[in-house]
Amino acid sequence: MLRIEHLSKAYGEKKAVDDLNLHIAPGEIYGFIGHNGAGKTTTLKSVAGILQFDQGEIYVDGKSIRTQPLECKRTFAYIPDNPDLYDYMTGIKYLNFVADIFGVSAADRQDRIRQYAGLFELTEDLTQPIAAYSHGMKQKLAIISAWLHRPRLILMDEPFVGLDPKASHLLKGMMRQVCDEGGAIFFSTHVLEVAEKLCDKVAIIQGGRLIRSGTMEEVKGDDSLEDVFLELEGESC
Amino acid sequence: MLKLLLKKQLFEIFRSYFYDAKKNKARSRLATALYIGLFVLLMAGILGGIFTLLAVKLCGPLAAAGLDWLYFALTGGIAVLLGAFGSIFNTYAGLYLPKDNDLLLSMPVPVSSLVAARLSGVYLMGLMYSAVVILPAVVVYWVTVGVTASAVLGGLVLALLISLAVLVLSCALGWVAAKISQKLRNKSLVVVLASLVFIGLYYFVYFKAQSVLQDLLANAGTYGAQIRSRAYPLYLFGSVGTGSGAAMLAVTAAVAALCGLMWVLLSRSFLHIATSTGKTARRTYRETALRRRSVDGALLQRELAHFAANPAYMLNCGLGTFLMPICAVAVLWKGGSLFVMLDALFADTEGSVPVLLCVLLCGLASMNLMTAPSVSLEGKSLWLMQSLPVEPWQALRAKLRMQVLLTVPPLLLCVMCAAMVYPLGPAGLLVTAVFAASYALLGALAGLTLGVKMPVLTWTDQLMPIKQSAPVMLTLFGGMGYTILLFAGFLLLPGWRLGFAGYAACFAAANLLLCAVLHRWLRKKGAALFAAL
Repeated sequence: MLRIEHLSKAYGEKKAVDDLNLHIAPGEIYGFIGHNGAGKTTTLKSVAGILQFDQGEIYVDGKSIRTQPLECKRTFAYIPDNPDLYDYMTGIKYLNFVADIFGVSAADRQDRIRQYAGLFELTEDLTQPIAAYSHGMKQKLAIISAWLHRPRLILMDEPFVGLDPKASHLLKGMMRQVCDEGGAIFFSTHVLEVAEKLCDKVAIIQGGRLIRSGTMEEVKGDDSLEDVFLELEGESC
Repeated sequence: MLKLLLKKQLFEIFRSYFYDAKKNKARSRLATALYIGLFVLLMAGILGGIFTLLAVKLCGPLAAAGLDWLYFALTGGIAVLLGAFGSIFNTYAGLYLPKDNDLLLSMPVPVSSLVAARLSGVYLMGLMYSAVVILPAVVVYWVTVGVTASAVLGGLVLALLISLAVLVLSCALGWVAAKISQKLRNKSLVVVLASLVFIGLYYFVYFKAQSVLQDLLANAGTYGAQIRSRAYPLYLFGSVGTGSGAAMLAVTAAVAALCGLMWVLLSRSFLHIATSTGKTARRTYRETALRRRSVDGALLQRELAHFAANPAYMLNCGLGTFLMPICAVAVLWKGGSLFVMLDALFADTEGSVPVLLCVLLCGLASMNLMTAPSVSLEGKSLWLMQSLPVEPWQALRAKLRMQVLLTVPPLLLCVMCAAMVYPLGPAGLLVTAVFAASYALLGALAGLTLGVKMPVLTWTDQLMPIKQSAPVMLTLFGGMGYTILLFAGFLLLPGWRLGFAGYAACFAAANLLLCAVLHRWLRKKGAALFAAL
């Protein structure tokens, strides 16, 4: 579903991502862990086609994000760490806009907006301008918009930040459902407990380099993910 | 603390002169000097020049009649109006809406320090606009009457008091705007309409002022005596400039009292207004049938929604759209007699009147600058356009379409109305229409090109890309330069030898050629630049 090959990206002298290789298969929830500034967001933005990278290649469903960006973007949805949406739109106008861009039929968008807005208890606020939304409400709206076109791959940068416990629980269920239906999820998180319980595979990145990846069992063995992560961080320091 | 906040405020105001947000580094000294030079040329050279001429016209006769105070009352009054007018649109946003309000309020910063820092921004804006009127007036007075200690002191005190009066007036208007804004639902439209009424009143007064001033000069003695007896505070206000000690004391006390009142009002209401989310009735979502649009349609709708949601965007970059229909009606109403008068005035140079019509059309179309700040206005939500399955060129084309849609139809309406009261003839009408439409398209393309080349995505206040960004300034001045070239070229070069139709056709052809070049650049390099932002 997603193949990252020898990805490198530098900001001036600083290498944000250095020769990163990852393969995410359909049906997998793939967690991406690392401390602040490790290169998680840069990787996710590169996959989403927001950042142009220096070296390597990214394939989404076999298509290169570099040469076939539109085909790739139609396959996935991206939710950034900070949901800066169009403040001048109302929630419903924003969802309708995203549905238009992805060519979702009128009937489908109606059904899905009803379903997801209901689940996230956002229905009543859909006529409010996004500028009046709290961070959590914006995050919920970003999640609903990401699910609108039934993407096969969902990229999320710290998706649980700002969500209340109920919405977090709901999101985890939705992530699992996407994978059960043959899709894939690639997300970054600082919440190691969530990653441990939710992810099929996990990758740990530090200083732009992948220091460990694999199935949850392969990465953590009998220890907790937190112990392994801290141990790896300590070794590198 | 206050010093720190003032430094931050001043840095924000003048940031664009010293710092290149696109390259994320300080500008070179040369670039800074050029930017400042351009700004000084506009404010001191153009605006200051206009008001120096006005002062020269007024000062001699009034001083000779012993009505020096009336001279200062008039110029001071204009300075207060221009100062308040110039900063009215910024005061509400600058005081209550900056994005870092929440951040600063969460810090151990006294609210009074924050208010004082915000006020410094409002004060500087008002000072800038009022100074271009009152400083030339004071200098002209010194030159005409002679430099004495009392005149120098009076002039400086008057300039200072006017700047403070402007601050009080701006804050009062900003406070009213904030209060109204909290209650209104369709506030963008209401703010725009109210502003248009204000602008209409301003120009009405401005045009009436010419005849009023002439009348005043002719009957200065009578009017002076009447104002002195019926509006004594105005007499005192004007007397400050002449160096009258009593007037200085009285007016200073009055302005100080007003400033104090404003400070009390602001200190008490600032926190409430700045942190308020409004009390308009909440509308609950009721499901209605959703309509599916094409990608291009959705992108155009997005641009229109952004434009319609932001009064500052509409007023600063879309004024032409509102003024063109008014102008079309005005042409139908008074155009006939105006064209007859102009025909007589330019009887020697055939075709001058249609060229003047084209100049007017250019002026109106030049008020629309939506594309120039549109890339910068994407701001932090740029990630959406970059991650959605949309070609960069599609996103740029939507911005172009918005400006064309909001400019060309009302512009052509003006052309049609002009043709109804002036015999343009079929060829003349066709050429005028093609010229006007091609100019509007060129303006949109040029603005977008500059917007893509010089984007500023790291603003904290939307006013920055709308009012202070290089693309907006360059598009505005470019439009002015084009308009001057159009008229000067016809009379001086001399383009009149080609006849109006030939001359306008040449410009239309040049417009279309430039449009083709810019369109091609935007499709290829512009789209790539936009994608890489």
